[in-house]
Amino acid sequence: MKNRKLSLLATLLVAALVLAACPQPTPVVETVRETVIVTQVVTETEEVVVTPTPAPPVQGGVWVEGSSADATILNPILASDSASFDVLGWFFPSLLGQDPFSGAIVPTEMAHSWDVSEDGLIWTFHLQDGVMWSDGEQVTADDFKFTYDAIASDLVETPRKANLDNIESIEVLDPLTIQVTYGEVKCDALNNLGLGWLPSHLYAEDYSDVMDSPLNEEPAVSAGPFIFNEWIRDDNSTVLRNDTYWKGAPNMDGWIYKIVPDPGARLAQLQTGELDLIGVQPEQLTTVQLDANLNLHKYKDDGYSYIGLNQANPANPQAGQDEDGNLVEQDPHPILSDLAVRQAIAHALDYDAIISKVYLGQGYQIASNVLPAVGWAHDPSLQPYAFDTDMASQILDDAGWTDSDGDGVRECNGCATAEAGATLTIRLQTNAGNTTREDLGALVQDQLNGIGFDIQFEAIEFGTLVGELLGQTFDMVIIGWTGLGTDPNDDSFWHSKFDTPGSGFNFVSYQNARIDELLEQAVSVPGCATDDRAPFYHEIQKIIHDDIPYVFVTGSVGNVGYSKKFNGTNPGPWSFYHNVETWSLAE
Amino acid sequence: MARYIIRRLLQAIPTLAGVSLISFVLVYNSPGDPILIRTFDPNITQETREILRRQLGLDQHWALQYTSWLTGITLRSGDVVEEFTRQDINCNYVAGLNATFCDSGGGVLRGNLGTSIATNQPVWERMVERMPATFELSVSALLVSLLLGVPLGVLSAVRQASLFDGSVRVLAVVGNAVPSFWLGLMLIFYFGVALGWLPTGGRRTVSLTNEFDLVDRISHLILPTIILAFGGIAGISRFMRTETLEVIRTDYIRMAKAKGVAARRVWFVHALRNALIPLMTILGPTIFGVLTGAVIVETIFSWPGMGRMTFSAAVQRDYPTVLGAVMFFSLLTILGNLLSDVLYGVVDPRVRL
Repeated sequence: MKNRKLSLLATLLVAALVLAACPQPTPVVETVRETVIVTQVVTETEEVVVTPTPAPPVQGGVWVEGSSADATILNPILASDSASFDVLGWFFPSLLGQDPFSGAIVPTEMAHSWDVSEDGLIWTFHLQDGVMWSDGEQVTADDFKFTYDAIASDLVETPRKANLDNIESIEVLDPLTIQVTYGEVKCDALNNLGLGWLPSHLYAEDYSDVMDSPLNEEPAVSAGPFIFNEWIRDDNSTVLRNDTYWKGAPNMDGWIYKIVPDPGARLAQLQTGELDLIGVQPEQLTTVQLDANLNLHKYKDDGYSYIGLNQANPANPQAGQDEDGNLVEQDPHPILSDLAVRQAIAHALDYDAIISKVYLGQGYQIASNVLPAVGWAHDPSLQPYAFDTDMASQILDDAGWTDSDGDGVRECNGCATAEAGATLTIRLQTNAGNTTREDLGALVQDQLNGIGFDIQFEAIEFGTLVGELLGQTFDMVIIGWTGLGTDPNDDSFWHSKFDTPGSGFNFVSYQNARIDELLEQAVSVPGCATDDRAPFYHEIQKIIHDDIPYVFVTGSVGNVGYSKKFNGTNPGPWSFYHNVETWSLAE
Repeated sequence: MARYIIRRLLQAIPTLAGVSLISFVLVYNSPGDPILIRTFDPNITQETREILRRQLGLDQHWALQYTSWLTGITLRSGDVVEEFTRQDINCNYVAGLNATFCDSGGGVLRGNLGTSIATNQPVWERMVERMPATFELSVSALLVSLLLGVPLGVLSAVRQASLFDGSVRVLAVVGNAVPSFWLGLMLIFYFGVALGWLPTGGRRTVSLTNEFDLVDRISHLILPTIILAFGGIAGISRFMRTETLEVIRTDYIRMAKAKGVAARRVWFVHALRNALIPLMTILGPTIFGVLTGAVIVETIFSWPGMGRMTFSAAVQRDYPTVLGAVMFFSLLTILGNLLSDVLYGVVDPRVRL
């Protein structure tokens, strides 16, 4: 009897919600209130008999995501900020999918399968048949080719030009088959093929309108779960259900991207139900956890925080390679080029205290440069540096850094890299306004000064800091990487060819011929099987761990707070919305 | 009068020119690089960064950039006609100077505030999109400041040194001292979250249709208006108290009292009307205060107006947008001051020119 009542309730709720789903200006919150009233009515009628049938998913409802920043442009090859991709990601088909839990590239989007030639240079992708743009045109290989040719065009200015590196040709064999030919094997090259496809039938053939087409602000057609509806800048963007979505139309009516710049206001709106999803700051976690209407999705992110140690003399920044690709011997940093000093720093930091006090528990210690999120390449056997001030002091004593004048700061008395008598004085910088990094800087300064360093800590404006970083004029810097993605290739941080003052990201001037070699081999394994690539990355992690160009402070943890309004949410670390078309309103 | 207005308007031109030069120099020489902020990403090559920088003219000396911002004409050394010619940009190479002149047809002097670096939209278009929201909030804050500030001030003067007077004084000090971002968050917490009476931010309840609903709009307006008007109420009430007390000691009021006019009538007819006149002078600064206060209030309350646009443009080093907004706010301030001076002349014959 109880079940029968429930299922009757479900049926009536469906009816109520279908009614509520008709276009009307009622805010979402009120729709929910209506259902509450219906529930009361139903509990009074008890004599009705209905056959229990599996209830179809409840239709309707709207999901509202809160964001600090608004999109800037809704064109997948011109956008470079995450807010733009949050919105435009609904519309444009892409060649490759990503497993929401492992991050691996999977054939869940336009390519349902692919073949690779024996030399690993020619990739043939077979496309899904019957995928339609919402205006009735079919999505074909021509859309893919048009998109990548547009990136190559001189008429298009885009930061995506690097996606074409190493691609020799893109050919359309037939409307459902694409052949991409590479100049050399690069195992992370597939990542460059993931951009959204433009609807080629709506653009000029010569790419002349790609930069200023009205479609960049109002993308008229969609091949994804939602269709563009409206974009009110700095306020909200709305998208509506695409009834012709090839994976099945979503049950919900639409999705809203609402701009709420202040983090406190975002939390408040999540609690009142004005928002359904926000990124949660560490200090807001308890509030979300205690709220019965909210879920918390916590995951290891693809980023980490570190202290970068400049290996070269900041007074004399040099490129890591000459024009012929030969290593250029660097003018060493007077203090930080001493491995003993780097080891002492690594042992002197109380990582547990840092993670619990500065990161409020939202982090985990890492040993080296490949994160556990990239499971196949990560080496779990590598141990992070242990907090041990006695050992750190001993290392400095043994290396000839001692405090001979008793002022609490060590000097070079027979050290390997600095002049005799030079004090252990090092600048430490980070970007002002990031309170976590400022707190970390103060703590690091405190702990290092405790074993005889003289750390001069300053927080400077981000733009200025980036200038010092890329200019390689810093000593030590607290900063982090985010969005490292699913491939472990991070050669731009370590390879000597990226040690280019003013522009390269190997700004710590790390130089190790073996690392250069390993980084190159790891991305050019024929076949690119993860089992074959893993040993290279294990060795890279070991060397980076031992050489300490970075002191790895913590791996990043992401926290998303979201409402329990919909059933079927199943967030993964790489995607929150991967199964959005199956969500249905909770009863 | 007409000559006076024209003269004041002409005087505004050098003022605006000075504002533009000073703000341009400050903005362009502040630390931070709009290109690096956008492209601090290992996947973006240095070549790409250089192309973007050159296209935006950010590789040039600030004086050349200022000229280009004013006139729309860019000067570059060498023959770079091909590199910079676009549909809307004409370039000519002058061999004698070995320089290329490009004319974008824009420039502030020709009424074009340029293009936003962040969104690639014309700056004027960005501003126009947000003006209604800012206008709505500022006007409502200004009205509330006047409607509450004036009676509070007069009543404090009537009951000078009473408990009421003291309370208003405390309110005024608090109103001027408490940072609006803190007060804003407190109000959001109590009225939005804890009590659930009012929406916590935004200009309307967002829905898939975004239809107009007056009640909904007003309920969204209440909290930001209170915060934005708080400083104005404080300032105006103190000002009105002083002015009323001053007027009340004049001979004609003493005369009115001596004649036996009812006290209420003396205060609210004879005294108030004359005390209101000097209010014109602080109207200009109050308008300015509301507009600058909007930068913070709009950010806290997710209000999609010009203040928030200016704030985020400054963070993103979107130079043209920041400058466009600064120029617009300066113009409004100048006009506001002019308006209050002219009105002063209209209502008070003693200062008529």
